[in-house]
Amino acid sequence: MSVLNDQHIAHIIKDLNHRGIVADEVREELIDHVCSAVEEEMAGGSRFLDAYHKVLRSFGHNTGLRETQKEILKVENKTTTLMLKNYLTIALRNLNKHRFFTFINVSGLSIGIASCLIIMLYVLNEFSYDKHYKNALRIYRVNGEIKFGGNHWKLAVGPAPLASTILNEFPEVDNVVRFRSQGSYLVRAEGGATSIKEYNVNRTDSTFFKVFSVPVIEGDEKSALSEPNSVAISRSIAKKYYPEGNAFGKTLILDNQTAVKITAIYEDMPSTGHFKFDLLVSMTGFEEAESTNFLSNNFNTYILMKEGTDANALEKKLPALVVKYIGPQAAAVLGGEFSMDKFRESGNILEYTLMPMTDIHLHSDRTAELAPNSDITYVYLFLAIAGFILFIACINFMNLSTARSANRAKEVGVRKVMGSLRSHLVRQFLTESFLLSVFSFVLAVGIAYALLPLFNTLSQKSLILPLAEPLFYGGLILAALLVGVLAGLYPSFFLSAFKPVNVLKGNVALGMKSGRIRSTLVVFQFVISILLVIGTFTVDRQLNYIQNKKIGFEKDQVIVIKDAYALSENLQAFKSEVLRNSFIESGTISGYLPVSGTWRNDNTFWPEGTQPTEENMVGLQNWTVDYDYLKTLGMKIKAGRFFSEEFPSDSTAIVINEAAVKQFNLEPDPLGKKISTFSGTNPDGSPDVNSIVSLTVVGVVEDFHFESLKQHISPLAFFLKASNGSVAFRFKANDTQDVIAAIEKTWTRLAPGQPFQYSFLDEDFGRMYSAEQRLGKVFVIFAGLAIVIACLGLFALTSFTAEQRTKEIGIRKVLGASVGSIVILLSKEFGKLIIIAFLIAIPLAWYGVSWWLDNYVYKVEVGVLVYVLAGLVSFLIAWATMGYQSIKAAMSNPVNSLRSE
Amino acid sequence: MHSPELLKGTLQTIVLKVLQDHGKMYGYEITQRVKELSDNRIFLTEGALYPTLHKLEGDGLLKTETVNIGRRVRKYYSLTASGKSLAKERVNDFVDFIRTMAAVLQLRMA
Repeated sequence: MSVLNDQHIAHIIKDLNHRGIVADEVREELIDHVCSAVEEEMAGGSRFLDAYHKVLRSFGHNTGLRETQKEILKVENKTTTLMLKNYLTIALRNLNKHRFFTFINVSGLSIGIASCLIIMLYVLNEFSYDKHYKNALRIYRVNGEIKFGGNHWKLAVGPAPLASTILNEFPEVDNVVRFRSQGSYLVRAEGGATSIKEYNVNRTDSTFFKVFSVPVIEGDEKSALSEPNSVAISRSIAKKYYPEGNAFGKTLILDNQTAVKITAIYEDMPSTGHFKFDLLVSMTGFEEAESTNFLSNNFNTYILMKEGTDANALEKKLPALVVKYIGPQAAAVLGGEFSMDKFRESGNILEYTLMPMTDIHLHSDRTAELAPNSDITYVYLFLAIAGFILFIACINFMNLSTARSANRAKEVGVRKVMGSLRSHLVRQFLTESFLLSVFSFVLAVGIAYALLPLFNTLSQKSLILPLAEPLFYGGLILAALLVGVLAGLYPSFFLSAFKPVNVLKGNVALGMKSGRIRSTLVVFQFVISILLVIGTFTVDRQLNYIQNKKIGFEKDQVIVIKDAYALSENLQAFKSEVLRNSFIESGTISGYLPVSGTWRNDNTFWPEGTQPTEENMVGLQNWTVDYDYLKTLGMKIKAGRFFSEEFPSDSTAIVINEAAVKQFNLEPDPLGKKISTFSGTNPDGSPDVNSIVSLTVVGVVEDFHFESLKQHISPLAFFLKASNGSVAFRFKANDTQDVIAAIEKTWTRLAPGQPFQYSFLDEDFGRMYSAEQRLGKVFVIFAGLAIVIACLGLFALTSFTAEQRTKEIGIRKVLGASVGSIVILLSKEFGKLIIIAFLIAIPLAWYGVSWWLDNYVYKVEVGVLVYVLAGLVSFLIAWATMGYQSIKAAMSNPVNSLRSE
Repeated sequence: MHSPELLKGTLQTIVLKVLQDHGKMYGYEITQRVKELSDNRIFLTEGALYPTLHKLEGDGLLKTETVNIGRRVRKYYSLTASGKSLAKERVNDFVDFIRTMAAVLQLRMA
């Protein structure tokens, strides 16, 4: 067989190339095929050219050849890996080529995703509360609601005998457990020298471990708390007081008097519970716990339902229980005519309901919670912010991609002419957005990892990225795909829809004018940004308002020494000794202070001379104080006088606040009027109806806030009586360190071994609003982020517009336009959008702001100024962003933009 | 010459069987071989053969190796393991099909 020489082969290669056989995948193969066929022909005696043309004819000349090539390419393109590789290469080249665009997109997206990630962790953590208990879904708390006269309480507690009554009456209840909070304790190991203050202490029934599946490490969970004066402690507390690890069976001393035996050590309770106790003291032998009095509510009561029973059905039976057990006791106190039906008919409420334990953390804000709870509104708010930020970042992506259509329209045209189908182009663009999205996610995880500690300090959580969790990565990948599709879908369909004829002729309407959708998206971005700015301003102003409102007392320059009872008989000596310091102005001993978290005591009173009925009884805060209380804390007397040593009869006198005057209808002259209450109790704990005492009003104090400003000021009365909860000193403006040091010196001498705990009243006051302060900070951060991302997008958009209009600007300048007029020209379009956004945002913001402020009884007036300011701020930021690009474009020399034409 | 319509469904079977019998072959060689076996009655056109080869390769049934011959490059195709088993299967299927067709069309095969 004759073989073709190189010349022949070169001819064939050149000729086939000329005829359009160019694709890498087919070229060489077809050349070889043609050569072989030609050789065969020549073997039959033909000359080279004749043989070649004969072979070509058998292929069907050019059309046949190209058809073959196309068929092969079609098959090749169906082989996905190859095409994917192709898409990837082109996507990477494109992203690399437009680095500015890529940078804006990736930074915006990754900041957005990182924020989302952190917020999602936070939200998941919030929703995971109390789910770790085995019987979590069968545990309910009994909530109480009481309303009569001017009083209305929503309680997280119930009467002492309620638990056992429910257990006995209803077979569907498996078990019950009660808690009785008595504040903090001073704790020391037996034989130890110093006491340490423990906050997470509670009394509980021996059924605790049966209801709550807290793993017990040492001890018998069945009998652990059944003995009087026994205590169950957490692992870390055991280690704290008995570092050698032999705590079990040892003794702890509570408040320097009660010795309790450690009968169980349990695993530390996780922080995702609505309570977290370190010490659980046995309720057995505790007098109040065995009371049969249904009229005082002090016990947090939890019930465990039997499997397959219906808590709703049980709840419906509770009103009958109230009639049966509470009715008679109430009648005994309020006089014979009382009946539960009549009580309810006149609009009063006395009822108990069940709340699923897993709802407590996010849905319960009642009096006497075991610990402050979170609020579902904040969770929703956070979720909304996360969604907004992510959405803003996605909008950036869409806007930039479509805005860039100018640069890519030609590419689309050429690809289509070359036979690209629309689906190929969609795939190409989606690959690009996927790449960006995946890249941003990787970066976002890094950012979130770096910023999580910061967020943890802010939110007081201990969140961690679940890096060992496969589900986490699965979720991330899924989210990356989702974001990729979300952000890439619109641009890819928009771009791939171009008609090649129009594009290649240069007829596509480009730039900002074409993008109605784009404008809508920009407006949307700025609506969100403005909303967040207004939100930030509002939270900030309300916090300021609270902090600076006239609260009715002087919170500055007051130091509070806690746990004064640790001084026992040295209490008075301590006060007078500290007062000897020249920088101390005055001091008072009382557990009752006008900040939450200090002592509270509520009793019912009625005007003297009338029968106590549900109409005229008023719940009154009873604060026992000494002579110097008013002077030290700076409340103002409105009428009459405060307690004074000149009046020996002051032991039966009271000083009430304006709210109490109003409740008791003591106007116009409250001074000298008397109110009555029961002073004694029966052996079962119910008030003794024969023990009525009356007290004389000697003074009226101006209303002052003693709870959060979310609440009204309720009626309050001061009694002259010792109360050893704390000592408060007012000091002169001075070096506070000296003040603390001096007081501590006295303390250590008079109360050796007892922890010295102090705080400043203004800080305690601020702490009541820590949730709001956190909200404020988080708002500032995320609102800031949202605006930054939105502006990144705007920045890129303007730069593209300016780029597209370079020639126009050049011509305008040549014809005499000034820099100013061009800047205005360029900013006008976006300026309009921001004004529209502002108009849309205002009613939304107004609605949101009034909704949030409705939580507060005392709220700031959010003036027009806030809205104007927010609008102005976002306008200025946006304008500054655009301004740079606009000015740059306007300043450029027209020669540069026009010379290439 | 047989109608291309008839050939369409059997193209893969032919390619697989020829490669099974002859080991590695290049495209032109396959057309020649088929022509020879069919007594010049079956011409595999390039437009049909090469897409088929590429598809079989993409499906992992064929493997390829390229050899430089002077200025040209020759691409040899051969069966992979799964290609071999498929080849057998396809031939058996086809024999079945012929029998069925014979019954349907009431033919007596010589």
